[in-house]
Amino acid sequence: MPSITSLATFTPSCNARAWLTSPHPHLPIVATACSDKTVRIYSTQNFQQQSTISGGHKRSIRSCAWRPNSVGESVLATGSFDASAGIWRRWEDGAGKGKANAEIDFTSGLAGGDADKDDEDEDEWKFAVILDGHDSEIKSLAFSPTSPLLATCSRDKSVWIWEELDEDNFETVAVLQDHEGDVKCVAWHPGEELLASASYDDNVRLWREDVDDWACCTLLTGHGGTVWWVEFEGTEMVAKIGGGDVASEEQKALVQQREKAGSRLVSCSDDQSIRVWRKVPKENPDGTPQQRLPSIWKNSNFEEEWVEEARLPSVHERPVLAVSWSRKTGRVASTGSDGKIAVYEERWTGSAANGDVAMGDAPSSDGSAHNGSDAEKQAITEWVVLAEIDNAHDVFEVNHVVWAPRADKGKVHDEEEVLISTGDDGEVRLSIRTQRRWAKQIAHESKTNSASLLAKEVVDSMCKKRRRPYRTADQKAKDNTQSTTKGNRTVLLAQTGWR
Amino acid sequence: MDAEKDNANPTIINPSDLPSRRREAPTKKQPRIFDSLAPAYPSLADPLSSPEASDSDSEEEAREEIDEQEVYDLISTISDPEHPLSLGSLGVVTLDDIAIKGPTSPRSRIIIGLGVKVRLLNCLPPRFRIDVRIKEGTSNTADEVNKQLGDKERVAAAMENRNLINVVNTMLATCE
Repeated sequence: MPSITSLATFTPSCNARAWLTSPHPHLPIVATACSDKTVRIYSTQNFQQQSTISGGHKRSIRSCAWRPNSVGESVLATGSFDASAGIWRRWEDGAGKGKANAEIDFTSGLAGGDADKDDEDEDEWKFAVILDGHDSEIKSLAFSPTSPLLATCSRDKSVWIWEELDEDNFETVAVLQDHEGDVKCVAWHPGEELLASASYDDNVRLWREDVDDWACCTLLTGHGGTVWWVEFEGTEMVAKIGGGDVASEEQKALVQQREKAGSRLVSCSDDQSIRVWRKVPKENPDGTPQQRLPSIWKNSNFEEEWVEEARLPSVHERPVLAVSWSRKTGRVASTGSDGKIAVYEERWTGSAANGDVAMGDAPSSDGSAHNGSDAEKQAITEWVVLAEIDNAHDVFEVNHVVWAPRADKGKVHDEEEVLISTGDDGEVRLSIRTQRRWAKQIAHESKTNSASLLAKEVVDSMCKKRRRPYRTADQKAKDNTQSTTKGNRTVLLAQTGWR
Repeated sequence: MDAEKDNANPTIINPSDLPSRRREAPTKKQPRIFDSLAPAYPSLADPLSSPEASDSDSEEEAREEIDEQEVYDLISTISDPEHPLSLGSLGVVTLDDIAIKGPTSPRSRIIIGLGVKVRLLNCLPPRFRIDVRIKEGTSNTADEVNKQLGDKERVAAAMENRNLINVVNTMLATCE
């Protein structure tokens, strides 16, 4: 099976738990929310820290999110265990042309320097607004991609929606209190004003504005534990199914159904499962389906029906803490307390590309292998595990994983993506999915290997240096032992040890 | 809640009667006749034994083994938040099952659970995942408490709460 290979660790890393990393909407940087009350901004080009945001929160920063569509200026929202959310601004390098921004100091520049001790440089990030209102820890926040709205959620069981009326002026437009436990995650639909929230009460709720009030339009039940993360499918990926062309009538029908339903939702939970949910489009009174276009439905009544469409293959053996649905490939990545990262893809059932075969980024196309029996519609596709890695952060739990565009010099093509994972070790790591022959060749990297090494020839030269000449599957498991320095003594740790 | 709050007459066990690995150590140390023939595995404390040198077969043995006794030793000296005694001497913690049972109130149960969890998180290597659960059938709020203790985000946030830190530190002050 193709593997996931850790390419680099962003440096310097946080000395305490890091919770989440958010890729910038258009710049090659990411922001990492850390329990040391800072946000670290790292470059995805050279894996170095560019700047630090600190001084705004009294407790751990649990989450951060970039505002989309901010041209010339980066706007980051931070959510903290201190119950407040912060809005931070910084002009982008070379931006600000023609903008009136006399107070902003450009002298420190965006390029960033030696990140270790640049506390002095940090005033390039301006703390713009503090959003107070929640009674307890903020767990997650998200900007709407379609409107000037920010959603926040908290242990106080509520979801708040804030509207940015004008710069730095936020107004509360809704306080949604239907959940019966901590709200762990909020996520916006990519093309509609539709918000999803995941909770400690084991449920997912969907929210829309009804006339003038935001209200819950769907309750998704089924998870057997805290739902840690929810995310919508990218609009562009709706009804794009891997493993071949749409050939049979059944496949055509499914594509039609998908297009009607629009973006699906993925959720992951303490119950170790990952589930995909799909909207059931309403039919017109005469029984004929509504028009195909997903973007224009208007519901006569407010409530929506969503169903659990699929469960991803069981890979995790501990709570699944985060999933990320690629907007470019439709693949889902997951991670959690067991320290694994897995990548899944939906395929036509029976397509030749299924199973444990080596594959490139473009799976071979043979969609006609489908046997044509009249099984349920859902059974004509299946989710397969494309790749996985154990102990992605050595022995530590991994709190978050996200797809991001590749930006380092090893990039092969423009659409190439990497996985960025964030762990209890305070580290943020960048990984790629590798084909089988590479997976055998590339030794799992130690923390000291960072940056550089991306081109194939570098990989080859690495192979000469690696300890074991060839790794079979069971060697691989044993291979994972490494030495880690903690405090003053060197301890021998088996990465697979906790089981 | 008040009715359940406290057991006025908990069974107190003399600390010197509690099981502990330390007292067993001398007997285990006695050399046995074939010891010299057994292969010696590199010691963790030995700076000369580099991980590279050990082949994959010896890795399992070289790992620090942690058993129930060690967990017991780590947590039995925690003080009960409502009694001036350790969890071991109150019989709250027993070696047999490392289970937590009365004489405590629901709130106390969750704080004890938190104390146990924090103690183990601090003392055991990070490769361990710590699941602290209330023993089945001992509490009607067990599910709720178990869920809270299993929620890493809540535990993390609790450990930033000054009041809770103080309570847990007081409990753990009696530990070595």
